[in-house]
Amino acid sequence: MVMSMINIQQITKKYATIVALDAVTLEVRQQEFFGLLGPNGAGKTTLMNLLVGYLNPNSGTITIDGDKVTQDSLEIRKKIGFVPQSLALYDELTAQENLEVFGQMFDIPRKLLKKRIEDQLHAVELYDRRKDKVKTFSGGMKRRLNIIASLLHDPKVLLCDEPTVGVDPQSRNAIFEFLTSLNKQGKTIIYTTHYMEEAERLCSRIGIIDHGKIIALGSTDTLLEQLAYEETITIHKNPMTVKNQKGFEKFGELLEEDDYFELKPTDRFLLSKFFADLEKQGIQYSWVELHRPTLEALFLQLTGRRLRD
Amino acid sequence: MKQVFRLFLNSYRLFWNDKVSVLLTFIVPLVLMTIFGSIFGGSGSGPNGIRLAVLNQSSAPVAKSIESSLDTMKSFQIIKSFKNDSGKVIIFDTLSIQDYVRTGNTSAALVLPPDAYADTSMGLYVKFYYDPKNDIEMQTTQGLIQQVVFSQFPSIIAQSGLRQSEQFLGMQSGGTFNRSMASLIHKYFGVDTNLVLHPKLSNMKITNSDSTKSSFDFFKNVVRIENQQLVGKEVTNPWATRSVGGWAMTFLLFTLTASSSSLFEDRKSGVLLRLLTSPVSRVHILWSKYLFNMSLGIIQLLFMFLSGWFMFQIDIFSNFFNLMLIIIAASTACTAFGMLLAAFSQTRQQAQGLGTLFILSMSAIGGAWFPTNFMPATIQFFSKLTVVYWSMDGFLEVLWRGVGLVSILPHLGILFGMGTIINFISVRRFKKGHIFD
Repeated sequence: MVMSMINIQQITKKYATIVALDAVTLEVRQQEFFGLLGPNGAGKTTLMNLLVGYLNPNSGTITIDGDKVTQDSLEIRKKIGFVPQSLALYDELTAQENLEVFGQMFDIPRKLLKKRIEDQLHAVELYDRRKDKVKTFSGGMKRRLNIIASLLHDPKVLLCDEPTVGVDPQSRNAIFEFLTSLNKQGKTIIYTTHYMEEAERLCSRIGIIDHGKIIALGSTDTLLEQLAYEETITIHKNPMTVKNQKGFEKFGELLEEDDYFELKPTDRFLLSKFFADLEKQGIQYSWVELHRPTLEALFLQLTGRRLRD
Repeated sequence: MKQVFRLFLNSYRLFWNDKVSVLLTFIVPLVLMTIFGSIFGGSGSGPNGIRLAVLNQSSAPVAKSIESSLDTMKSFQIIKSFKNDSGKVIIFDTLSIQDYVRTGNTSAALVLPPDAYADTSMGLYVKFYYDPKNDIEMQTTQGLIQQVVFSQFPSIIAQSGLRQSEQFLGMQSGGTFNRSMASLIHKYFGVDTNLVLHPKLSNMKITNSDSTKSSFDFFKNVVRIENQQLVGKEVTNPWATRSVGGWAMTFLLFTLTASSSSLFEDRKSGVLLRLLTSPVSRVHILWSKYLFNMSLGIIQLLFMFLSGWFMFQIDIFSNFFNLMLIIIAASTACTAFGMLLAAFSQTRQQAQGLGTLFILSMSAIGGAWFPTNFMPATIQFFSKLTVVYWSMDGFLEVLWRGVGLVSILPHLGILFGMGTIINFISVRRFKKGHIFD
């Protein structure tokens, strides 16, 4: 039986007149890589701040590894590693000095801390730069350092709040690999993002959050089953396809992007009929792609808005 | 040109939205102008309530007249008695009035001795005892006393002249001389001739004589003020010793305000969040900031006093223990002030803008730049509510007068008290404020 690591029960958090989280209930299992997907302002960061005890909820309870999380419960923080969205580092200190400062807060014996700092620096390929000031680092390097600063006390749970913001694709991949390896080593991870690709790639289970509520929960496959269609059709824009825009609309909902149309077929859609129509209009098959729908499409179906809106 | 105009307007929009810039541009100068204006003109009219101990042992009318003039001057708060240890009010005598100055109850004392003005004397004789711990205040006090004393000049000259002429010229020639003198005094001082003339001589018949040949250089002896410095004679560098405290306090406040508002930087960078998601509480963070700022303040003050010792030979070591106590108390109170600013501000810029306003105002009204007695009574009241006033006074007590622990206990009590109260308010405000949200 898979044990529960994080248990969130009926959590509500209000800021003045804004309800940031509205009676959220959620369970994350041991060693799970859980994704929290939602647009900006959906309540992801508030939930993370509550999970780590930075904020107190207006109502509801959170337990991590059986212990209740509150602002005053300092001991439980030794079980949690938190990677904030911002680069929470001292620019004027070296990488090693930063890690020493943050590591010392967890009462780690000096020798053990030194070893862990070395190991983590090696793991994210920053060991050679350990004596350089953080202000000289690239964005990707700072992001990697930001992550390992949260791992020095060897937490059971790692909470990552959009840890790849502003990172180039190469560094992003490195971070993904690093996090995946941590998960394989046994860490429970909650990862918030508004990039559906990240959530799909990394997470075994995803919760979609909007306006402070979890509106969908499950694995990617389970979530996509909620869609009314199994495939999405991308039609590249050119004079011929633009001319036939009205013709596509009879097969489903057509979204216009900069370079392409995206067709979300209706229940009665028949692929054979669609291709026959393309042929009749003189549209080449190579201008059309069929692919599996994304979580973006699910979000659109559930909320009527896009994730990046 | 349109683009220049648009950019020009945009600059004003940005400026107006930056409340700190607006504050620094208009409010800070306005406050300082008000303070300076009330001191050097405008709403104020010179010094106010300088404490002056006065002992009049003379029965001469001119001495009475001086005493009355001093009583009515708003520049002075005249003190003629003191309370002894048992709380009994005692009128000053020659020794107690000097002790009163020595113990720092007042910086100046004027004594009109029994022989201040006798029928046989040449002119007026007064004693002035002083403690020049505040040079500007002392020069002003001396100037005001001279003004009062010399306001009696016409009468003194006349009566002195009468006696001298009586003594040296004889009654007959003296009468001629005195009438000439009286008309001269009338011409130059506007005093009624009849008031100047001695009754005995005023009715005398004027006869020609060679009295004008008798020239006496009595003017320089008409008023004699005997000055005696009672405190600080042994101080190596009076100017530096007096000034170092004021400047040290101003810079200390700037340092501590900047340091306290570093909390905003920590919040902005996310470091505060990271720390608060480790086994660290808000109270830990506030205490660490407070202790850091307080120790930094102590180090900075110590550095400034050591620099004063090294460069200006300020004697900091003969009363070092008490100096350290005042340094610690001042730093405690100033740190609390810095934390208070951080607690009530929303951003670092706001804290620094408010800090500049309060620091310059507190330094001005606290006496760091000029004596508090130059300010209107209302501002003098507020000056005693500032950290700067009590810290500076504490430094002066220790360095200038070399007092012991008992004498600085009020300073220590007030500074630590201020620190405690301000800290209490800060902590409550931090709990409700936005910095940890």
